[in-house]
Amino acid sequence: MIDRRDFLKFTGLTAFTALFGGCEKLSRTIVPFVIPPENYVLGEALWYATACRMCPAGCGTLVRISEGRAKKIEGNPKHPVNRGKLCARGQAALQGLYHPERLRQPMKLAGARGSGSYTPITWPEALAILMPHLAKIRSEAPESLLMLSGRMRGHANVVADRFMKGFGSPNRVSWEPLGHDAQLAASEAIYGIRDLPEYDLANARYALSFGGDFLETGLSPVHFGRAYGAMRQGRETVRGKLVHFGSRFSMTSANADVYFPVAPGTEGLAALAIAHVLLRDKLLPQAAGGGVWDGGLKEITPEAVSRRTGLPPSAFVETARELAGNRPAIALAGTGPATMGNGTYNLSCVALLNALAGNYGTPGGISFPDRRATLSRFGGDAQLIAPAPESGHGALRAATDRMRKGAFRVALLLEPSNPAFALPPAFRFEEALGHVPFIAAMAPFIDETTAHADLILPTSHFLESWGDDFAPMGHAGNAITLMQPVISVYHDTRAIPDILLAAARELGGPLASALPAGNFREYLANAYAGMEIPFEQALQEGGYFRMKPGPLRPLPKDAGHSMPKASEPAFAGSPDRYPFVLRLYPSNSLLDGRHANLPWLQELPDPLTTAVWRNWVEINPDTALKLGIAEGDGVAVASPAGTIRAHAVLHPGLAPDVVAMPLGQGHGRYGKFAGGRGENPFTLLPDATDAGSGSPAWQSTRVALSKVALKGRLVRFGFPEGQWKPDQFIA
Amino acid sequence: MNRPILLAVLLSLFAATAFPPGEASALSGQPVPFSHKTHVAGNGIDCRFCHIYATRSASAGIPSVAKCMSCHRVVAAGNPSVKLVARAADEKRAIAWNRVAKLPDHVYFPHHKMVNAGVPCLFCHPGVDQAVETVQKRAFTMGWCMACHRQRGVSIDCWTCHK
Repeated sequence: MIDRRDFLKFTGLTAFTALFGGCEKLSRTIVPFVIPPENYVLGEALWYATACRMCPAGCGTLVRISEGRAKKIEGNPKHPVNRGKLCARGQAALQGLYHPERLRQPMKLAGARGSGSYTPITWPEALAILMPHLAKIRSEAPESLLMLSGRMRGHANVVADRFMKGFGSPNRVSWEPLGHDAQLAASEAIYGIRDLPEYDLANARYALSFGGDFLETGLSPVHFGRAYGAMRQGRETVRGKLVHFGSRFSMTSANADVYFPVAPGTEGLAALAIAHVLLRDKLLPQAAGGGVWDGGLKEITPEAVSRRTGLPPSAFVETARELAGNRPAIALAGTGPATMGNGTYNLSCVALLNALAGNYGTPGGISFPDRRATLSRFGGDAQLIAPAPESGHGALRAATDRMRKGAFRVALLLEPSNPAFALPPAFRFEEALGHVPFIAAMAPFIDETTAHADLILPTSHFLESWGDDFAPMGHAGNAITLMQPVISVYHDTRAIPDILLAAARELGGPLASALPAGNFREYLANAYAGMEIPFEQALQEGGYFRMKPGPLRPLPKDAGHSMPKASEPAFAGSPDRYPFVLRLYPSNSLLDGRHANLPWLQELPDPLTTAVWRNWVEINPDTALKLGIAEGDGVAVASPAGTIRAHAVLHPGLAPDVVAMPLGQGHGRYGKFAGGRGENPFTLLPDATDAGSGSPAWQSTRVALSKVALKGRLVRFGFPEGQWKPDQFIA
Repeated sequence: MNRPILLAVLLSLFAATAFPPGEASALSGQPVPFSHKTHVAGNGIDCRFCHIYATRSASAGIPSVAKCMSCHRVVAAGNPSVKLVARAADEKRAIAWNRVAKLPDHVYFPHHKMVNAGVPCLFCHPGVDQAVETVQKRAFTMGWCMACHRQRGVSIDCWTCHK
């Protein structure tokens, strides 16, 4: 027999070797390139410049390529928007590229629509299905073609537009859930310019944020993160101050020096009360507010607004005095107030405060750079290349109504922004899709919307595609970003403009002559031929950043501003039955849910609650105590439209009559990483819109809470119970 | 059960864990029969004509399909092995070659340092020029590396190779 000592020796030895046996040996095969890239040296990384498409901000990126594979994404130091920085969402783009659920070849519907049951087919087979449909309606009724896309910018947008014009159909809808309809309407109302303003946060000494989310999910988070850092620490003797008025304690408000909690939907009123004090006390002698003062601002006293917002009048008086004493001062509004029933009103009030404070065109203020001047050489296409060309929520609603009436025989869904998920059920988008006889989707994944397609053409990832982009914010209106494939196409996929160009060629006639290029790269190179910088050099740098910026756009309404038309936020449900206002916000990592299939972003802790992989409902600790709800308990959130369940997160920064939930979770058909993680808060909403712009109102319902049993638990990184004492916050 | 048998059982278990089967089989049989003898001894092609990264990179590199086809589009185009490569080129498909020369993961071996210092390729890869089927003839043991490093008076610091 072996004794105990020997036995232990051998056990140890076996365990040791088992451990090392587990280490991956050198791979047994070596796979050299088919065609190696130019200037390539084995083992040395190559960096290619391109643009990020993970959110609408349009940052420039550099991608590290090693042996033909994209390994890491960094910010492009030359790009004016992000100056070498990049956020977590941008970093996670790699997972989208290598995602195991990406469509690898065209798919034909094999079951009922929406079932997600598809058979793989080849590209020739797929085009043999699609092209006869297009050819038939083109000769019979070209206007019965609908093209629904997500946000498209640059020449991809030009190709899509020309395709539809050449086809003879005016029915092109480009819809983005994180659209800027309310901001555009507010700019138009106050300044007479329908455009997104440029905010010079970096040079401001004082910043007022009205429900702003510019540090996490707003217009251009990386740009604003950098600008915020410069405002705080970029100057030797000045440390800019940030004051936040909002209805939820967000990451931006956590970074503010002062946080004023206001009732949801009263952010605009708070801005007006500050403007009232500025004019009443003549704090800014140069402020020309005559028409506005008599037009209604006179009545919006701090006392009157105090009752509505829940803040003491002194808050507005003190803020106005600080603002006047710390010029330049800037006011910014965010997604929260923009997605109210009175979103345009809120944003108009903030824009008016900027206008009255004389912030237009000054350093540390706001401006409208003449972006079209940069793009003027593109003539009629300039408008299509510039930011915010999307047709807005109203156009989607009109198209959905017409779908129901049978106006469309073929629908092309071009990487649609998942309207079947990101719209309330009362919008009945899926039901409307059922009235279209043939639906072809071009998308990289099967999701709730593309699962309704009869045919899915797999599209290439943006890291595999040619393109150009024009960032909506963060530069003087003079930066064109170029995109190039940083790796060769990984699966049997094609880019949307290439599919459209090929389809145009096959359909022939005026359509083919409107889109003459053989492929999108050629189209792009032709478009940029003759620019100041050669195309190849611009590709190397990531774009054209050296062009002289144009002058600021003159304000047509510079002489006198008018008061925004008063508008109240509307909330579905009676306060007796549904005592809490529901505050929905885009998740810091998943946004509206488009990134829910990326595990890196699922496991990225929310900056305030540190929760991962699920959604939750934020409740004031006082309210939770009254309802008998403890940290992590299951809670049923019921609105007149529906009920969902989520885990409770007690959040002392939230008003007692408000509960907040992040968007993004609750997918039914978006793969295994997105599926089965919480329930979809969009299903709680009525089909409500902002009165001023028609954009979707996410803050539009009241809810009731009750405790329910919920399987599993919410995983959180922090130790929330240890961070604050409940009795500290209970009056 | 007596002690030697038990020891043998345990040792074989250990061996099975430490040296999983399949290593040996991977050495032989390449996806395309390739003769170094034909290319090097027969036609006098320099090693670095195909292994182009040997002077520039830690890894000497295996030639790309395009590299093979730069000659074989014309030369010996009818050869059945060449046809396999031609088909891969047409389909733009990479060829997965089986690894022949093996070094443990914990050794850093920069080809370009050796080649640029004038160490002939055949010093470490003896007989490759005559090989119809490529095999590793030299065992890359630490003692053998050290002997040469000592003889040439170059670094024998641990971190030179183990990093």
